[in-house]
Amino acid sequence: MRAFVALLKKEEMALFTSPIAYVVLAAFLVIMGYTFTLTLFLTHVPTLVHLFIQIYVLFLLTVPIITMRLIAEERRLRTLEILLTSPLSEVSVVLAKFLASLSLIVVMLLLSYTYALTLAVLGAPDWGPIYSGYIGLFLLGAALVAIGLMTSSMVSNQVIAALLSLSLFLLLWIIDYLGWLLPDPFNAFFVNLSLLVHFRPFATGSLFLSDAGYFLSVTLLGLFVSVRALAWR
Amino acid sequence: MPQSDIIVVERLVKRYGARVAVRGVSFTVKAGEIVGLLGPNGSGKSTILRILTGYLRSSSGSVHIGGVDVADQAARNYVGYVPEDAPLYDWMRAGEFLQFMAAIKGVPARATGAAVASVCAQLDLERVVGLPVGKLSRGYRQRVAIAQALLNNPPILVFDEPTNALDAYQVIGIRELIRSLAGQRTVLVASHVLTEIEKIASRIMILRDGNLLTADATSEGSRTPSFRMRIAGPRQAVLAGLRKVTGVVTADVQGVAPTELADSMDTYLVGTESRPRIAEDIAQSVVANGFALAELVEQKPDLERIFLDLTRRATEAQVA
Repeated sequence: MRAFVALLKKEEMALFTSPIAYVVLAAFLVIMGYTFTLTLFLTHVPTLVHLFIQIYVLFLLTVPIITMRLIAEERRLRTLEILLTSPLSEVSVVLAKFLASLSLIVVMLLLSYTYALTLAVLGAPDWGPIYSGYIGLFLLGAALVAIGLMTSSMVSNQVIAALLSLSLFLLLWIIDYLGWLLPDPFNAFFVNLSLLVHFRPFATGSLFLSDAGYFLSVTLLGLFVSVRALAWR
Repeated sequence: MPQSDIIVVERLVKRYGARVAVRGVSFTVKAGEIVGLLGPNGSGKSTILRILTGYLRSSSGSVHIGGVDVADQAARNYVGYVPEDAPLYDWMRAGEFLQFMAAIKGVPARATGAAVASVCAQLDLERVVGLPVGKLSRGYRQRVAIAQALLNNPPILVFDEPTNALDAYQVIGIRELIRSLAGQRTVLVASHVLTEIEKIASRIMILRDGNLLTADATSEGSRTPSFRMRIAGPRQAVLAGLRKVTGVVTADVQGVAPTELADSMDTYLVGTESRPRIAEDIAQSVVANGFALAELVEQKPDLERIFLDLTRRATEAQVA
């Protein structure tokens, strides 16, 4: 356990001492603030649905930047040799990197909560959809970080890892369009692979176990492949 | 397995796709030995070390460290590994890095401070513990890399090209350091620099193209001894006499061609097979032929010659 805590602390330090975390946070807050203010003035409705969809898009674009270096950089710099010749399991290495990156997602969500508090000050928002939206964003963030970690574990070039993640995210965003072209039962398969199809109910205040199960499955699959990629050497 | 064999490698093979990096290598290392792994770049040295330390998996064959299969995570507790070019976390301070390494190597929290202080004192790192690793000189980086390998006091130390890219003073320093660390530990050092290995190791293994040419180059040398002799007499006759002695493989005059000059006192180099009383037989033959023998000295095995002989023979065998 002490080894895992040390590993997690090291990953947190690596993330929060790099400029990447602060650039991502700053960009996130500026764009969110702009969207929130604009939406509030245009609609005069105390809701965060638009904001959640905007965060969904921003996560697709920023998570590859957060996760690209996780394993690819360690592989390129050969620090992975130091890590994996210590009595540590691949599972603990992957979990520590996953949790550290997820913590940045949590920080982003916590900071965005100020918009919900602003709504509470200005009006009487419906808190149900706000909480379900945050649960959805957390699950979405976990799934994206796991996929990003997976691509980072497969290559030693950070840029390629980021491009691979971004491509996968965009594909999973629009894959349901393919479903609309296919006959039953193939259409359901592709529609149900879509990130947006499973995220939209959370953003609008509907909680379905199947949607949570989708994000958890993607997260576990990403982590499993990352562990296997790290063990395959 | 005899108790003293702390490393046992049997028929080790490592393939990277179609390329075979290590071809059925077997050797043992006894506890307390300082063993050098010598070979040209790409001969499979680093691959063998990486398998030994658990970083790479073997394609076939087995490796046991202290009786534990390297596939078992517990085997990693036996080995302190210093990879080539000291890959470290540049953004960490040296002290932070050592504390982190102590934690992931399972050093108990209450013992970490003492363990870090101890390795810092041993490696003369006290002055740099507060500096970021990325700001350290190559020599200090290498010392930090060695320090992390020592933190959990492992019985085996593995060094991959420990003096790579260091200046002359740093090379001498690291070499002395490795020698001083040996003591009660088993040390395995890989290098492509023949003179470095010769100065550090007590036993030298030679690798080429993934094949182990010899597990003990020094004994290879003693199996093919050579003598330096000073003999007075006609060169052609002296050489013919020497070559007639059973067990003599090569006989040459040092420095000049045999036909160049007439009779004089010359120095001859004689390579022989290894057998008892060969020196006496050569001396008797020289005297019996009527030549004056002024000196007969057994030459120390020359690693360079052994290395060249073995690699030449391997090439010839491949061609054949």
